[in-house]
Amino acid sequence: MSAPSLVTPAPAPLPVPAPPGVIERLIAVVGEKNVIREPVQLRTYECDALTSFRASPSVVVLPASTEEVAAVVRIAVEAGMPVVPRGAGTGLSGGALPVKGCLLLGLSRMKRILEVNLDDGWIRVQPGVINLDVSKEIAAAGYYYAPDPSSQGVCTIGGNVAENSGGAHCLKYGFTVNHVRGVRMVTGAGEVVDIGGPVLDPPGYDLLGVVVGSEGTLGVVTEVVLRILRRPEATRTFLATFPSTTEAGNCVSEIIGTGIVPAAIEMMDRLAIQAAVAATGVDWPDVGAALLMDVDGCSAEAEHTAEVAVSIARRTGALEVRVPRNDDERMLMWKGRKSAFAAMGRLAPNYIVQDGVIPRKDIARVLAEIARRSRERGLQVANVFHAGDGNLHPLVLYDARVAGQEHAAEELAGEILRICIRYGGSITGEHGVGADKAPYMAEMFGEADLDTMARVRCAFDPATTFNPGKVFPTPRLCGDRPGPYRPHATELAGLADRG
Amino acid sequence: MTGLPASLEALASARQERPATLPEATEALRRAARDDARVLFLGGGTELTLGAPPAGVEVVLGTERLSRIVEHAPLDQIVTVEAGVRLGALQETLAASGQMLALDPPWAAQATLGGLVATNAFGPRRTRYGSIRDLIIGISIVRADGTEARGGGKVVKNVAGFDLPKLMVGSLGTLGLIATVTFRLHPRPESAGTVRFPDLDAEAVRRVVLALREGQLEPGAVAALVHEGGDDLGVRFDGRFELGVRFEGFEAGVRQQTTKLLDLATRQGWGAERLGADAARDFWARHDLAREAPAGFRAKLAAQPMELERVANAAMGSLFTALEHARAVSYPLLGLAFVSGEVRGPGQVVAAVNAAREALADGSVVLHGAPAEVRAGVDVWGPAPAALPLMRAVKERLDPERRLAPGRFVGGL
Repeated sequence: MSAPSLVTPAPAPLPVPAPPGVIERLIAVVGEKNVIREPVQLRTYECDALTSFRASPSVVVLPASTEEVAAVVRIAVEAGMPVVPRGAGTGLSGGALPVKGCLLLGLSRMKRILEVNLDDGWIRVQPGVINLDVSKEIAAAGYYYAPDPSSQGVCTIGGNVAENSGGAHCLKYGFTVNHVRGVRMVTGAGEVVDIGGPVLDPPGYDLLGVVVGSEGTLGVVTEVVLRILRRPEATRTFLATFPSTTEAGNCVSEIIGTGIVPAAIEMMDRLAIQAAVAATGVDWPDVGAALLMDVDGCSAEAEHTAEVAVSIARRTGALEVRVPRNDDERMLMWKGRKSAFAAMGRLAPNYIVQDGVIPRKDIARVLAEIARRSRERGLQVANVFHAGDGNLHPLVLYDARVAGQEHAAEELAGEILRICIRYGGSITGEHGVGADKAPYMAEMFGEADLDTMARVRCAFDPATTFNPGKVFPTPRLCGDRPGPYRPHATELAGLADRG
Repeated sequence: MTGLPASLEALASARQERPATLPEATEALRRAARDDARVLFLGGGTELTLGAPPAGVEVVLGTERLSRIVEHAPLDQIVTVEAGVRLGALQETLAASGQMLALDPPWAAQATLGGLVATNAFGPRRTRYGSIRDLIIGISIVRADGTEARGGGKVVKNVAGFDLPKLMVGSLGTLGLIATVTFRLHPRPESAGTVRFPDLDAEAVRRVVLALREGQLEPGAVAALVHEGGDDLGVRFDGRFELGVRFEGFEAGVRQQTTKLLDLATRQGWGAERLGADAARDFWARHDLAREAPAGFRAKLAAQPMELERVANAAMGSLFTALEHARAVSYPLLGLAFVSGEVRGPGQVVAAVNAAREALADGSVVLHGAPAEVRAGVDVWGPAPAALPLMRAVKERLDPERRLAPGRFVGGL
């Protein structure tokens, strides 16, 4: 949750050694150099992009195939070691944070693109493939993979599947879950199972819907079939500046209310604009708010919707509307937006980023409430977020060298999440619950809701081997099956069996 | 469809529960749990024949009185409804705000939202907007033990916790009662235009599909109809389709895309025409009829889109030969199709289903309706999916006593 800090976090305690014999067995599966166990080397894996939480794994294993993953998981299960899967480690919620005594399963070596089928609209990849590399693979044919998290140049598909990653353009195109057709995964029993595939509507429960976004708690995904799309014919982009986030928020509501489904609408407030200007040299004015918007589709549709949206922006109080003259200018506008997080380091030594979601119509009110609380606490909050779907990214700025500021920043960040819950929203729109927001799950969901989710988890992973301590606010054990099993008549008649 | 099919007549003698509120529904399920009674959930009854007949149902819980639209927030483009709300009525309400639920399955006037979710129903708009799993954002369920639980929420973007809403899609009442559902909405398109290709073989349909993609066209709905078979057994499917491509959205875009497709068709010699309003209505009405016409046998075929020729020749062909009054609709961009008709010779239909399954080994053939004589010869769901042990584990965790529609689902779940 914190930015790269000037204050060096305390190193994690020394790793707990793996149980006897485990290392040798792991080496036999993946080879000596893919079993990392030197404390110094293990430090690389102490945290993901949420650097304020750290723990050392007992061992890091880097398998190269589904079979190796399955063998490694079986070894871990037999040894009673928890397994924490990890992609590129770009997660912002501590989803890949090691737990004490764990085997950390790094999927970075599994980065092959296995099969491309443009005509049927899918691609099969290993989990370590980088998000952007999927689009690059098929770009020459005019296709792309739609979900575009800001970290898409480094984050992996496996991590995207675990987190159900979003991005600026999911407003129109949906999230990772809307683009995953099938997975091959290794379960808590160390078994390999295929869920879904290229063909739609496989009979049975929609387990895929649960696996995507399960944050590594149900198993390890070793292959993914992704839906790919033809690039739209035309994209129109514009940047509109406003006196404050109130006018900008009203503009978003009006545009959506008109029946336009933009590909993306991003909002930045004054601080975020300043940070983007400082980081990328975009010549944006010093104003209270800016909207960056993409519309796409066939050229006539894109022209029409851009015209309507621009006229709405003017009517709702835009100071200025800028249309990029060419693709370079367009790319620069988006670069300004996408580098806003990293640019925060120029405004404050540390920050906490939240990921709450609110109903879109309440954006202006919630931003005003966040601003009030930020004044009360004497801490600045920058806002750069996906306005079209109400997914806030408030960045609470602070200086960890000042006594008490870090604590105050954490409290303010927590208050912001509670505001999101109070407005009927969510504590996370795309970063995941992970270790970071697990305590807030009990505020968003009731005990029966969490119990139901935990039952699903137990169906996949009864020994809670995978990523324990994440997502759920309190540790949960599965116990035995909750109740007697009654054979069905068809089983008794031998028409079906329990497999 | 009204009245119970013959295979479900036993339901009439079961205890009928018709809760009007969520607490009443919870109480009804607690009562059933206390009585150790097996429960079947009943919505509009449009897909009652989907799945195997559930064994020994003692309670039928009808959702018709759970009929409130709980919240429609036009600015947020979301709606929350109780399970018994009928799709047709919901669309009328939403239309007043210029919005729609982008879902156009058969029997919309009769079908309830809870039932649609439970059966994963869809229509031609799925081509553009996706299926129910892409539209559902929140759910509340009542488990077999009477526990009420929620998943998702009422904002479109939300990754907090497991996606219970998606787990319930297509679960056919075997995991819990779907009590309320929240959907994302879409603006009603300002205009629409349909291009019709009167006579194409499967290979030509496949090439139109590729041309749509290559031309960066974004249709709102695409459907291929097969002419009705004759009255005598053994009428052969001639392998030809009538294809409709509908564009929706702002008028300028509809006009541009329609023209572009017609130009493409002319160059390729596909013989397409732009339909006037009446002719377009007629085409889509015939589509609806092909999905909705009463039929003793219905099957859903799933394959990859580029396999259409195999679907047509091996699957549709053999089913048409075995059925009377056979009809078929294909959604060629999705790789999904429906075939229906009347069974005269069960043995021939069983053989045709088996042949279709063999031809579509990577896909599926699921029977949405079939007489007992056909059911005796084939599993309505087809071969068990690879993930059946996981599905069974989910069922055991949520309904350990197997009291919800026992045996109706895949693999006897």
